Amino acid sequence: MTEARTIRDAVEARLARRHRAERRFQLYGLGAIVLAVAFLVLLIGSILYQSVPAFTAHEVTLEVELDPALVDPRGDGSEASLRRGSYNTVIQNALQAQFPDVDERSELRELFGLYSAVNAARLLNTVVDQPELVGARYAFSFPISDDADLYLKGRTVDERRAAGDGMLTIIPSEADVTLRADSPAFQPFADAIRAEAAAWADAAEARAAASWRSAQETIDADTREVLEAEAERAGALAERLRSRLAPDQALVLDAQAPSFLVEADGGVFRVRQISADRTSALAETVIAPAGTGAAERWTAWVLETPAAARLITDRQLVWVRALADRGLIENRFNTRLFTNADSREPELAGVMGALTGSILTVLVTMLLAVPIGVGAAIYLEEFAPKNRLTQIIEVNINNLAAVPSIVFGLLGLAVFINAFGLPRSAPLVGGMVLALMTLPTVIISSRAALKAVPPSIREAALGVGASKTQAVFHHVLPLAAPGILTGSIIGLAQALGETAPLLMIGMVAFIADPPSLGFSGFTEPATVMPVQIFIWSSSAERAFEARTAAAILVLLGLMILFNAVAIYLRRRFERRW
Amino acid sequence: MQISVLVALTLLVLTAVGFLVGRRRALSAADGQPASLHSLPDYYGYYIALWTGAPALFLLAIYGIFGAALVNTLAFGQLERDAAPLIRGYEAALSQDADHQILSGRLDRLNDQIAGLRAELQGGTHSGDVEADVRRLSALTAERNQVQAGLAERRSEVASGIEARTPDTPAGRRALAGFEHWRATPERRELFIADARALAFDEGLASRDTPALRAAAAALQPVERLFQWSAAGAALALAVAGLAFARSRVSRRFRARDRVEGAISAVLLLASIIAILTTVGIVFSLLFESIRFFAAIDWRIHEFLFGTQWSPQIAIRADQVGQSGAFGAVPLFAGTALITLIAMAVAVPVGLFAAIYLSEYAGPGFRAWAKPALEILAGVPTVVYGFFALLTVGPALRDFALFLGYEDAVTQSALSAGLVMGVMIIPFVSSLSDDVINAVPQSLRDGAYAMGATKSETVRQVVLPAALPGIVGAVLLAVSRAVGETMIVVMAAGQGANLTANPLESVTTITVQIVMLLTGDQEFDSAKTLSAFALGLVLFVMTLMLNIIALRVVQRFRERYD
Amino acid sequence: MDLTAPDGAATLYHPTPAGLDPKVATREVSVTYGGKLALDRVTLNVPDRSVTACIGPSGCGKSTFLRCINRMNDTIDNAKVTGSIRIDDEEVNDRSVDPVVLRARVGMVFQKPNPFPKSIYDNIAYGPRIHGLASSREELDAIVETSLKKAGLWNEVADRLAQPGTSLSGGQQQRLVIARAIAVNPEVILMDEPCSALDPIATARIEELIDELRENYALVIVTHSMAQAARVSQMTAFFHLGALVEYGPTEEIFTNPLDQRTQDYITGRFG
Repeated sequence: MTEARTIRDAVEARLARRHRAERRFQLYGLGAIVLAVAFLVLLIGSILYQSVPAFTAHEVTLEVELDPALVDPRGDGSEASLRRGSYNTVIQNALQAQFPDVDERSELRELFGLYSAVNAARLLNTVVDQPELVGARYAFSFPISDDADLYLKGRTVDERRAAGDGMLTIIPSEADVTLRADSPAFQPFADAIRAEAAAWADAAEARAAASWRSAQETIDADTREVLEAEAERAGALAERLRSRLAPDQALVLDAQAPSFLVEADGGVFRVRQISADRTSALAETVIAPAGTGAAERWTAWVLETPAAARLITDRQLVWVRALADRGLIENRFNTRLFTNADSREPELAGVMGALTGSILTVLVTMLLAVPIGVGAAIYLEEFAPKNRLTQIIEVNINNLAAVPSIVFGLLGLAVFINAFGLPRSAPLVGGMVLALMTLPTVIISSRAALKAVPPSIREAALGVGASKTQAVFHHVLPLAAPGILTGSIIGLAQALGETAPLLMIGMVAFIADPPSLGFSGFTEPATVMPVQIFIWSSSAERAFEARTAAAILVLLGLMILFNAVAIYLRRRFERRW
Repeated sequence: MQISVLVALTLLVLTAVGFLVGRRRALSAADGQPASLHSLPDYYGYYIALWTGAPALFLLAIYGIFGAALVNTLAFGQLERDAAPLIRGYEAALSQDADHQILSGRLDRLNDQIAGLRAELQGGTHSGDVEADVRRLSALTAERNQVQAGLAERRSEVASGIEARTPDTPAGRRALAGFEHWRATPERRELFIADARALAFDEGLASRDTPALRAAAAALQPVERLFQWSAAGAALALAVAGLAFARSRVSRRFRARDRVEGAISAVLLLASIIAILTTVGIVFSLLFESIRFFAAIDWRIHEFLFGTQWSPQIAIRADQVGQSGAFGAVPLFAGTALITLIAMAVAVPVGLFAAIYLSEYAGPGFRAWAKPALEILAGVPTVVYGFFALLTVGPALRDFALFLGYEDAVTQSALSAGLVMGVMIIPFVSSLSDDVINAVPQSLRDGAYAMGATKSETVRQVVLPAALPGIVGAVLLAVSRAVGETMIVVMAAGQGANLTANPLESVTTITVQIVMLLTGDQEFDSAKTLSAFALGLVLFVMTLMLNIIALRVVQRFRERYD
Repeated sequence: MDLTAPDGAATLYHPTPAGLDPKVATREVSVTYGGKLALDRVTLNVPDRSVTACIGPSGCGKSTFLRCINRMNDTIDNAKVTGSIRIDDEEVNDRSVDPVVLRARVGMVFQKPNPFPKSIYDNIAYGPRIHGLASSREELDAIVETSLKKAGLWNEVADRLAQPGTSLSGGQQQRLVIARAIAVNPEVILMDEPCSALDPIATARIEELIDELRENYALVIVTHSMAQAARVSQMTAFFHLGALVEYGPTEEIFTNPLDQRTQDYITGRFG
């Protein structure tokens, strides 16, 4: 008994420590799951957040004048004539009518940069469909350019407005105007701009230093040159920014500095230079004021993001704001995202083309992988003698399941395209490659489903005199069908999300028209959803970021649909023995 | 097209007829006692249908694959024979053309000089100013390219002279077509044939429309028609013969079902052999193209495997000068290893602990939602992970590194790619480990609990050691997965072939380079493009070995506890 | 050692011979698995330094009862245990009792030998190590040696302590896990059909061992074999359909059963 006592004491002495270790260990486990789920939430959450701007688009609605001289050059109202009309000019005229004092060539180019000329094609089609519109006025809606759209969504430009102090006199001189205040009213803005410029100069200097450092470390001569040039550019910029930091000098504003706009008397002016005493400013007119002279109230409008760091110019920004104030711009649900194919213009780009391509490709994959896979599974599970060949096939299938997908792409490129001469970028070839990739998944899951059918069923069938084939096809296969179907659908969902092998066979092509859904669609160049996501994600335009996220949501939606069908089938038909 | 559709339809009808004939024949052979037949009457029908349809369709398939090439060879062979006088005239004109003589002389000399200089540079015994020689070499190559261009121009001048003298008669146009076909480079020749076919059979749109092309199209048409008709005739004859043969064999004792079932299992065997053919296809295509690549870099395989300089683009630009050091794949291997290491550092602990928690601690309610959550993580396409790494994780890591005072931080880094890849692999590790942990018999756990071990002691000291081989297998499979993962690294790891162990720099991997080399503009025979296949071969061999070892380890483990 | 049957559960108790002190005392112990009753109000006293055999047809709850004593049922998700189990007047089912400490006091041997995938030495040393019973390598060596000697395995394995425990034969493995259990010097040893996976010779060795262990421990053994129960045990409990039907000295139960079911079972009418 005493011995037992001491053992118990020994056990109890260590107990607290052991229980702490136990709790710690359990916490690690829980932490691991929480971490994994947190990643999932972060992944989905960040994509949802990024996709928000893609689902709406700002559209401009303008009264366009369908001048017969422009839209019906031959004057006979025939379709051929209507198709030769200059519809872009029609839109340009309507836009120019909104800002009558814009007349310089370069300014006009900026103004017309607010939309893509591709929109004219839609106006053309409208007129061809309704020839009676010729000569009339017509309210035409078109998406505003992606940069303007993002600006209106507040995603690209930081801006603030403040009421100005005192009176402001507007004195026109040659091309520009001078804005004169009765006190140093521009002082706060000048100070703010100088502070920002100082920060930018610091950043530029840091960039220059970093480039120099990496240039020193680089062995490759070409790269070194590039880095050195970069460093020089950044250094020069920093110098220029510093040069206008002196407090008592005239302040020159350029593309590297925040922009300073003044709204007064219905007009908008873009300030180029603030005088040394901060009471007057040299500016150019963006929108002409109602009259000339003095304004009681004026507003300072500071765009903190410098023009060089954004893709929308000061003037465009002012015009867009003016159009919005006039009620001509509306934020609508972006149907183009779902009905259009790819486009170089983000505001016109949609997923329809890629979606069609995906459907065609997965169709080919399904038609090849499912019958072949199920056939192979039936053979291996039900018919195959246990010999060397079938053993090799088994090992081979298991290994094939773990071969990187890109290797299947290489196979497709070397065999299907280069050796067989099948067309590049075509859903047919893509589907074939994905079928080879999906085959092991289908075989393995089908075999599992066949294996789950109890041998008693086969024995019962054989017992009443059915042949092996009859037993399998009449009894085993129907019972295994739900499992086979589920496995196949999951394999196809995998194929739907696959990218790398399709890059190898050239499905990265830019496809502006969705492929036709007929037979010829299988051999026409196409792209698929994941590849579209890849293409968009590597595009330079910011607006494609949101569209990429939106396309991801569409793809995830498709995959959820696939998996939901698989789960439904499993629940509906699952049988346990 | 229409003929083949017609033939296919006829074949289908014949097959159906065969089925009916078979049934009828069987029933009549049974003398009104169907039970006396060896098989059900339908099987006799299937048997005859099989003999009717299968051989003919097989013939049509063969024709579909090889027919066009055969027609092209025959038709253009004839055209080139028609062009024989033109070809002779062209060669004679070239041999008399002074400009051409001078240019080809210069080309020969330049080639000699270049070869000599390169041999000297590669010999290793070179003592003089290497850089000057390299510069001279690239100057010489540039000159050679110029001379070659001049030669080509001169040749086409001569050729157009010959073409202009050819009379504009049907025969003349045919000769022109043959001549153009003969003179064209392989790629141009492909295009020429494609255009001619387009004009002849409305297969898509022709890029040009010239008299020569029209003549070629006209030459193609009769040959094509001949082949089409004979293929159709042969197929139909084969179908009828098959029908007749099979019909003759049907009798009461004939074992039709065995034959049909034999055919079915042959088809099934064929289906499973496709899996093997895929592997064979992978191995041979990779090997074949890799051999061409190694031939293009003069069999310096050791430099490919152990060289530390990877810059295939330079090799293209300076025409072979930089080639000696340009295909060293070590930076790619190192980048792959670095990213795989980071991914494993994330995936193995998290995945393993998640599996332990799910199988040993979690209640059924918790498991019911945690497991699907992990499965969702596994189902997300890799391109989505790539996007996530590129736009969320990469910038966040860069900002964090900048905040910590590391100034060279970049968005595309090994760390962000590795981290996100690790997340992608978590469910893979956890589900495999879960299986393995569940395969450890309950009696071992009971033994430990009965000794007074706590749960964590049981897991760490009994379950994990018992499951170790299986877990090792799972990790190896995960490594193979990480090594072969493409999209995340393409989007998030950058492209610079840096040989570095710093996870905050951008690195490149085998898969990234394969994608870079094979997307965009490419000429198929260049060493640059072929190197992608050599990289693919390395990747395949690497993952294959990992898989074989892993599968074997896991299988051993399972056998032990089954 | 007086026992009375709880209301409704018709247990028949034989008078207990003198000289047996109770070590484990259970009162109205019931177990449900996910709402299904597996053990119905079992009340009995397990005497110290003796062997108590639990017999009965399959699924009668005898293993469930055994697993209550060291709270192995805790490891099953939906098991619920009610009633009182006391070891030396200490409540086992109390929340404050740590199963870890309890199991150090109550060893258990299972139907199938389950040595850990470790060396023979590490198998025996496992308990002392996790409980911190040895302060030095020499002490641990001594514990291992003593335990193996007590289990009668020392002579067979002394020269191959580093080999894996799984390399032994089935009977040796079972003695190994018995040695593993006694290495922490428990007060009670539970055996769940310890010989059902063994051949007759190995069974005889284990039975001998059980008889030796009786000197120092209270043993509870579940067995399918009535002959074995008769050979090794002093007390016998007969279970049927989750209830304890009859409990008393082995000799009494086998020669003079009070209940018809007991009689039918021991005479082999059902089983």
